[in-house]
Amino acid sequence: MIDYSPMNIKIWSRLGSCGAFGQAALFLPEINDKVVMLTADLCTFSGLDRFKLKYPDYLFNFGIAEQNMVGVAGGFAKEGFVPFATTYATFASMRCADQIKVNMGYMNLPIKLVGLTAGLSVGVLGATHMSLEDVAVMRSVPNVVILSPADCTATIKATIAAAQIDAPVYLRLSGTMNNPIVYKEDFDFEIGKAITLKEGKDVAIIAIGSMVYNSLKAAEILEQNGVSAKVVDMHTIKPLDKEAIQDVLKNKLIVTVEEHSIVGGLGSAVAEELALLKQRPPHLIIGVNGAYPHAASYPYLLDQAGLTPEKIASKIENTYKEIC
Amino acid sequence: MSNMEKYTKAFCQAFEIDEETAKKLKFQDIPAWDSVGHMGLVAQLEEAFDIMLEPDDIVDLSSFEKGQEILAKYDITF
Repeated sequence: MIDYSPMNIKIWSRLGSCGAFGQAALFLPEINDKVVMLTADLCTFSGLDRFKLKYPDYLFNFGIAEQNMVGVAGGFAKEGFVPFATTYATFASMRCADQIKVNMGYMNLPIKLVGLTAGLSVGVLGATHMSLEDVAVMRSVPNVVILSPADCTATIKATIAAAQIDAPVYLRLSGTMNNPIVYKEDFDFEIGKAITLKEGKDVAIIAIGSMVYNSLKAAEILEQNGVSAKVVDMHTIKPLDKEAIQDVLKNKLIVTVEEHSIVGGLGSAVAEELALLKQRPPHLIIGVNGAYPHAASYPYLLDQAGLTPEKIASKIENTYKEIC
Repeated sequence: MSNMEKYTKAFCQAFEIDEETAKKLKFQDIPAWDSVGHMGLVAQLEEAFDIMLEPDDIVDLSSFEKGQEILAKYDITF
């Protein structure tokens, strides 16, 4: 049993989402003895060193051969195993797109593809390692469930939920070490069921992954400036929680916030859901817009992309005052 | 509880070891002090002394002895 004590939550936060994933992995064989871990040269980076020591026969390192890894994961899944395959989110989603289409989409095999460092968090390595298109790619593949946990405790929950569902899953992990804590205690995580973290009547902010914390902070700034903002953690991007979308229709402005391109991600998913409604609030999509940034530190890149709490709040406030 | 008692307790709790072992400990001396255990120790120290360690200090925290030197930067005396 996982102990969701305040100290463990702090430790997971310190480890970051990759380390937290590795901690969750240690518990998976207790839940399902068919779980195997596959990685493309990122055993330590995926937090899997302890798993390797404890279950050496259940961990397979493919080296830098991501496409091979996903193909083998398909074989494992076909034989009744529950394979988790880890690599950088950009390699997971884009380099392996054909293997994903065939194995996860067409054959509907329950591979759990883990995209590490999604977004801008390894921006120091340059555009090759940034992952700003992964949700767009994965959303377009039928059958794939997409999870984007808001913090490290949610990462633990999402990993376990992914192991328990008989479906292909893309687990999108964002943020860095010392990941801000959104969930300070144990909570219910249900795939497809968004979580309202804060109520508000003017604006409804729907966020994923690392942007949930920044959106909560942005909502605090907005409150100080007289704009009441609701914040929703849309941890499951696909299937989207339609009830949660219905619920924000009473707000005057819907805002989606993601550490991803504004094309094809959470914003697009919500917009597709809203498209046929005759009456609905305007929808502001906040994310990365434009060309690939140059290599730089994570905080700098977030600032340049307008994804800090202050810049998110400013963008929302300006739009709200302009059109509402 | 004195600072030394709090400090030793943080090591004991992070790695589930006794005080004697804690006082001689260096990084990776025991399986529990791996990269995951390291962050557990950091979290225990931060909680015990209500501080937030800088990234460079987290990297430098390589032994029981070194840790005391690092905490001195945060005005924690032993």
